Formats: sequence, structure tokens, C-alpha cells
Amino acid sequence: MNALREMMAMIELELRRLRHDRTEIYTRAIQPVLWLVVYGTTMSSIRAIPTGKIPYLDFITPGVLLQSTVFVSVFYGLTIVWERDTGILKKLLVAPVPRYSTVIGKTIASGVRAIFQALVIVPVALLLGVKFIPRPLNFLAALVELFLISGGFAAISILVASFMKTRERFMGIGQAIIMPLFFGSSALYPVSMMPALLQRIAVLNPLTYAVDAVRGLMISGDLSHLARDTGAIILFDAVMFVLASVSFRKIIE
Amino acid sequence: MENRTPFPKPPGESPRAGEPGAGEPRVEKPPAGEPLAASPSGDSLVEVRGLVKVYPPATRALDGIDLDIHAGRIFAFLGPNGAGKTTLMRILTTQLRPTAGRASISGCDVVRRGAEVRTFIGYVPQEMSVWTDITGYENLLLYAKIYGLPAATRNAQVREALDSMGLSGFAGTLVKNYSGGMIRRLEVACTLLVKPKIMFLDEPTIGLDPSARRAVWEKILTFKKEFGTTVFFNTHYMDEADLYSDEIAIIDRGRLVKLGTAEELKGSIKRDVIRVGLGPGATAGEKTLARLRALPSVTEVSFADSEIKVAVGDAELALLAVIDVLRAEGLPIVRISAEKPTLDDVFMAYAGSSLQAGPDLREVRSVRRQIQKG
Repeated sequence: MNALREMMAMIELELRRLRHDRTEIYTRAIQPVLWLVVYGTTMSSIRAIPTGKIPYLDFITPGVLLQSTVFVSVFYGLTIVWERDTGILKKLLVAPVPRYSTVIGKTIASGVRAIFQALVIVPVALLLGVKFIPRPLNFLAALVELFLISGGFAAISILVASFMKTRERFMGIGQAIIMPLFFGSSALYPVSMMPALLQRIAVLNPLTYAVDAVRGLMISGDLSHLARDTGAIILFDAVMFVLASVSFRKIIE
Repeated sequence: MENRTPFPKPPGESPRAGEPGAGEPRVEKPPAGEPLAASPSGDSLVEVRGLVKVYPPATRALDGIDLDIHAGRIFAFLGPNGAGKTTLMRILTTQLRPTAGRASISGCDVVRRGAEVRTFIGYVPQEMSVWTDITGYENLLLYAKIYGLPAATRNAQVREALDSMGLSGFAGTLVKNYSGGMIRRLEVACTLLVKPKIMFLDEPTIGLDPSARRAVWEKILTFKKEFGTTVFFNTHYMDEADLYSDEIAIIDRGRLVKLGTAEELKGSIKRDVIRVGLGPGATAGEKTLARLRALPSVTEVSFADSEIKVAVGDAELALLAVIDVLRAEGLPIVRISAEKPTLDDVFMAYAGSSLQAGPDLREVRSVRRQIQKG
């Protein structure tokens, strides 16, 4: 009960923060927009990568959305650990709520931010002619998948941050985590096109499942793997939450 | 200071698991030397026995602390940075586990019944603990929700807390636009929301200017008077400890060095200073200084800038003799004053180093910057 209260409070915190200042959402939208506008349209016209009936730009849109989600989450985890939040963390530790609920609450809150981030990019995609499946339920379900995957990555960043001493080092690590996962997933090309070694990595990559799910819901309508994908994401989240909760103690001490 | 007899268990309290019924086996021997006594009056709200905290590999942040804090008092922990004050507070607020020893608040062991302890303590950490990108009101509202305050009365309670700290006019302002003193007051307001039994304040006024410091303390005292909350605070400012505490524990390098009220502590070291201002052009020669040094209980004599400084055991007793010597030497006395020792002198006497040298300027600046930058 207490745990739920705390998690709701963390979500409310993000909503209130966003209400006061949305600048970061817009600035973080620039890179994904560039992916779509520059890379996406160019590669579309070259027709270098066969993506079946789906135009290439539409094909990579879910991946781009997820990349921005993951970026937001990873750097959200970072801010939790550093800066003045350390005083806040101490306070939350002394509040009558279970320890793990602070970690989980924060990782969930990053999902809120991630969703708003995605909502800024979607109109751009629409403007470029990307055809989303016009079913609100699908769209909502896709947002849920975004929300879920964001939690797991926020947890990863908390985990990593507890071992980093300086913020600068973390920035580099952040990129080092996100980019390989992005390229090693089905975000930019179908898995079947990847070299065998890379395919094996893609199978273990949580982003692959997230991209698959979101693409199915938003673009292709192919929901045959939705259960498997969602299950994989939830498993990923659970494992990361546990690891992050454990390493969280290190941050406090 | 009297020798303390072992603190008896309050009747009816069942022996804690793992301990034999009657005695309380100490896990760690307390430091050798004079046993410390807290003023005996009623039950202790906070009990600390043989608390030790070691950070691997070998840093003994706390080296065997014994303490009794009684309800309704303001208790200060005075010592330089690195003395172990924050560590002790973090253990008492259930953030850290001690390596050895135990502590309990209101009968609840902080390790075994931590969750329960957290329902009746308030805490303001040294670093800023409010969210800067939302308003003061929103901060308190969120904490109110986290603490599970009933929805019906929540808003009123938040308004009341803001009011009691003089922040009503700024409830709707983003915290990043608050001054350092306002931020501290907001943080104290947060703890007031739950009407805690005991409030833990870690360096409550660090980095604040004097008027802000006074404002913060004024509000704390008002609240304490009204609700009888016990206040426990860490500080390296001796004036703060002197002015606001009912009782002070001097801590240095993880050990409790001395315990008592400000008056008791200052009275316990015999080190007054008599200052004599001589007329312009007058000098105290070696002969004069030697005669002064020869007086009973004089420990040190020096002369600089037309001023003679005489360190004595008791100024009241030595004053007359000093004046007599100077008159006999024909020196024109323009003014004379006697100073009682400050807490810094007390600290110096017991811990062998100065409180003033303590605070790392960098740390003070960084906390100040945090508070101001938001």
C-alpha cells in the first residue's frame, strides 16, 4: 500500500515537472527527428534495405521512437543518482515506504517522461507520411510497451550509475549501452538480414522485442509475436529492477 | 559529571531476540576514560549503546557511541566535518546499519523495527532535499502523499506547514527561485507535516547567512514549543550549538568526547582570558610579562598591538592580581576585559583540534552553491 503510494507520487512528480517545463522534451526530440527526416527519407528513396510491403521510413519509426525512449530513460536514471537528488534519496529512504518502491517508482516515472517524448515525435512522423494503424487501442498498447521498456532501461542506468564515480564517465557509458543495442536490434533492418553472429545478439536484445511489438502495433498489424515480445520485456524489466534495487544500497552508502 | 550506572531496562519491555534476559551484553567496549552521563530525567527517547560503524577497509566512522536523549529536548552534536555526526544520524534515521552496537528510538530498535521508526521521525539531510523544478506547495503535497496523509485534510495540512515556516506567500513559486534560507525552511516544513516525535537535522544552517539562520531556528523553536518535538541536530557551528541546544555532545573522530549543557561544558575547562588594553605608546616589557606569568593559575601571557593577553584558570580570581602587577609597573590601563571560554576552546581542550579549522571550505561552498543554484 505504501509502495503504491510512493510509486504514484513519483509519477505525479514527473507530470508536475513536465507541466512546468517541457523544454527538455523538445530538445531531446531533435535527434530522433533527424533520424526520420534525414536518414529515413534518404534510405527510403535509395531502397537499399528490403522491408517488404512497408516503406522504409515507416519501418524504422518504431525503432526511432524506442531509441528516444531509451535515451530518456538511461539519462533519467543518471539524474536520480547524482546532483541534488542525493538529498532527496536520503529523505525517501527515511520515509515510511519500502526501500524497493523508491527504485521502482523512479523507473516507472521515467516511463512517463518517455511517453511524452514519444508523443512529440509521432506528429513529425505523421508529417513525413508515415502511415500508422488508425486504431486507438493499438496506439495505446504501443505506448504501454514504450512505458515498459523504459522502466527496464532506467533500472540499467541506476545499476551502472552505482558503479560510476563521475558523471562524465557515465555519459560515455550511456552511449556505449544504447547505440550497440539500437544497431543490434531489428530497429533499422529485419533480423533475417543480419549476419549470423549479430542475429544471435539480436535475440538476446530487449530492444529487438520492443521494436517488434511496437512495429506490429503501430505499423504492420502483425501481432503474432505480441505475447512473446511483451513477456520478454517484462522479464527484462523484472531482472533489471531486482539488480537495480540491490545495487541501490551502494548509492546510498 | 557523575559515574553512570548501567541504564535499567524499562519495566515490561521483553528482552530482545538474541539477547539474554537481564543484562545487555555490549558488543563493543566503549572507549576507555570517563564514562559520560546524560542528565537523568525520565525515560530516554533515543538510546544508543556501543554504536560502531566501520567503512571497509578500515575507516572507523563511529567508534563506540553511547547516548541517551530525552524527549522534548534539543540535542546538538558538535564536531568538525568527518567526525562521524552524519554517520550517526544516518544510522539513527535507519538509512545505514551499524557494524556493531545498537540504537533505539522510542523503544524501537532502528535495525529490527526500522519501518516503524520511520513513521514517527522527521529528517532534513545536509544536502538539498526538495525538488527544484516544482513549487514549494507541490513539494509538500508530494511528501504528504508519500507519507499517506489522508486526502481530506492533506491540503490544509500542507498550507499549515507552509504557514508555520513563513512560506505561505511563496507556495506557488518554483523552488529553484527560493533563497537558501527559504529552501531550508521548506525542508523543515516537510518534516513538520507528519508531526514527528523527533526531528533529525543535519547541519541545518550550513551555507546560510546569519539572518536566514536565525529565521530557520526561530521557526524550529516555535514548532518545538507547540508540539513538544524532540530535536536532534548536527552542527560544526559552535554558536548554533551554544544558542539553541539544551544539551551538547562533542564528537571527534567517531568518539563522544564530552557531554553536557553549553554552560557545563564551558565551565568544565578552566581557561579564561583577560585582555588589557594599554595606553598609546605603552609597552609591556619582559619584566612585566614575567611577573604576570608568575601569578597563580596563569598559563600564558602575550603582548601585541598594545594589548596584553593573559590566559588564566579563573578570570574572576586573577583579575585583581593582574591589575595590581600592571599598576605596580606603572602601565596605563585603558581598558580591561575578561572572556570566558567558548565552545571552540572546549572542543580544543577535549579533542585537541579546533572546530574552526574543521569545515572544509570547499564543502561549505558546494552546499551553498547547491542551495542557491537550485
